[in-house]
Amino acid sequence: MKLFGIRFTPFALCLAAAVASVGGTARAADPIKIGAPFIFSGPGAFTGESSKMALDMLAEETNAAGGIGGRSIQFVYYDTEGKPDVAVRVINRLVKSDQVHAVLGPIASWEVAAVKQVLETSGTPTLLLASARAFVDPPSKCIFKLPTDDKIVVARLYEYLRAAALLRVAVVSGQDGYGDGGQRELQAQAKANGLEIVFDEKFSMEDTDLAPLLNKIKRTNAQVVVNWSSSRAPIILTNAYRQVGLTLPLVHGPGALSEAVLKGTAANGEGMLSAGPKFEAAEELPVTDPQKAPLLRFREAYKKKNNKDANQFGGGAYDAFQILKAALLKSGTDPAKLCAAIAETRNYVGVGGVYNYSDSDHAGLTKEAVVIYRVDGGKWKLAR
Amino acid sequence: MLAELIQVLIAAATAGSMYAMVAVGVTLIYSATGIINFAQGEFVMLSGMTMVSLYGQQHWPLALAIAVALAVVVLYGAVLMAITTRFGHGASLISVLIITIGTSIATSGIAARVWGTDTHRFEPFSGDTPLWLLGASVTPQALWIMGVVCISIVLVEWFMRQTLLGRAMRACASDRQAAMLMGIPVRNTVLLSFILAGLLGGIGGIVATPLTTIDYNGGMLLAIKGFSAAMLGGMGNVTGAVLGALLIALLEAASVSYGSSALKELSTFTIIILVLLLLPHGLLGGRAEIGLQHEDHTAV
Repeated sequence: MKLFGIRFTPFALCLAAAVASVGGTARAADPIKIGAPFIFSGPGAFTGESSKMALDMLAEETNAAGGIGGRSIQFVYYDTEGKPDVAVRVINRLVKSDQVHAVLGPIASWEVAAVKQVLETSGTPTLLLASARAFVDPPSKCIFKLPTDDKIVVARLYEYLRAAALLRVAVVSGQDGYGDGGQRELQAQAKANGLEIVFDEKFSMEDTDLAPLLNKIKRTNAQVVVNWSSSRAPIILTNAYRQVGLTLPLVHGPGALSEAVLKGTAANGEGMLSAGPKFEAAEELPVTDPQKAPLLRFREAYKKKNNKDANQFGGGAYDAFQILKAALLKSGTDPAKLCAAIAETRNYVGVGGVYNYSDSDHAGLTKEAVVIYRVDGGKWKLAR
Repeated sequence: MLAELIQVLIAAATAGSMYAMVAVGVTLIYSATGIINFAQGEFVMLSGMTMVSLYGQQHWPLALAIAVALAVVVLYGAVLMAITTRFGHGASLISVLIITIGTSIATSGIAARVWGTDTHRFEPFSGDTPLWLLGASVTPQALWIMGVVCISIVLVEWFMRQTLLGRAMRACASDRQAAMLMGIPVRNTVLLSFILAGLLGGIGGIVATPLTTIDYNGGMLLAIKGFSAAMLGGMGNVTGAVLGALLIALLEAASVSYGSSALKELSTFTIIILVLLLLPHGLLGGRAEIGLQHEDHTAV
């Protein structure tokens, strides 16, 4: 027995010490885990890919500089496939088995609608990358959102229309969540801005023949037409607009701010307007614009790292991480403290705008984050 | 008021021409084989997409691009025939119908890979500047659509009634067994019907894409519209298919103009259902015409 003790005690001690030391250091340098439920497959896959590229770039940078408060950053990526049911599964896994400290995402509004309750119950600090305002209005304790939304885009657009003395508005909107959201805001804010909506109709997103609808607008006394629809509808509508001989100014919601719409409308798109975040206009912004520098910086860094042009989605992920990082530095990973720290974010000048969260405002942006675009020479340019 | 009415009629004639191209194709294949071809809209999509690539993006000469686009749809028609009649040999008509739906979905999936998920269009043949007619506007491309479709359908009618081949096709349609006994090569007439249907859809895609735009999954909706038009007119009847197509387009244009565009499909299909409840063989599908002669097969 003694022999055994003599022979084995030092070994056991050694082992115990080793275990203790490994365990101890592991606890001190435990990485901060951040869940990133993005769309990596299907038609929306590019949104997830560019968000991931932006975050990978930031993780590398942050970890090389010693992490946050000595702890490294680790992103946990999952593919939501752009489907609500998959998103729910993925979020459950993130908050229950991965036990992430915070979540950035999801990207699509319909995914958020499905997962919001899970996030609320778990109390995980979340920065949504989906634009619908309804998710933070009224605000729930730990859920914030980044992208510009219909409320501020419409506010900025109406300001522009009023200045241009285009006071009688014809509204056409796609028959889906996107069109409904825009149409509601357009109706809600018209009166307060001194505008009158003289025509308001929805069209099916499957419809490829919009001439009969547009011909009806000809018989109203509208001074401007506002179309709130996404994907291919702005293309079909713009072409039909010229084909029926409408000459009123045409304004699209932010869903039209894409290369595809420019290509699909070609000469018919010249002169049409849109409203949205400043992302596309980085070079053109005046130097006095606080966003100009961070926007250019992000685009340059992204291009250098990935050899690919950045888009708004990458920009949203970038801002979300910067806001989270500042809050983590202030409060550490305790969920309640972290949420409070995010809500105290003031004057963070980012890619998407100047963010000021508070206990009552979890959207953070004002209409100053939105600019008006006009198509000029086949490109989206700042209007005036 | 008059301008409004003319505008509705122009819209109906334009959309109706497009539906007619698909409906006549559906009816031709149905006559020859009894198959309801839900991949009929893919002809339109494929030829439109081919034109976008060759004429719109590579700037090939128009005639050459059209020739290639039509070759593509003829080839697709032959493949479709092989799939439906070879694989579907001995299968029930309902299985073949499902095969055509599957083919349609597969085709749009492949198209999404080849041409991406963006919406495409190429420049119209005579510009986008509208012409004015009694206070109503009409785009030059709409005139192209109506004209080309009109000629194509007259040619199909002439072919079916006046040529030996066309008569052989009609013989097969009315009694396959008797036609076979008379020495008509039934297989070839079946292939011919697929090729004709493909050509009609292909021509439709060429003239309509500048106006309606095209994307990878635009084929299915067109096939449903074309099928409804063929049913409404009386399945198996070319004139009926054209009539059904024009009627559906008129209903659509009128319900948008005098009602709301949110109700476009709802009002249209409600009326189609009512007509078919009252006239199960469609407007022109009398007893002599085919109607739905194969319904018993699927019931067993």
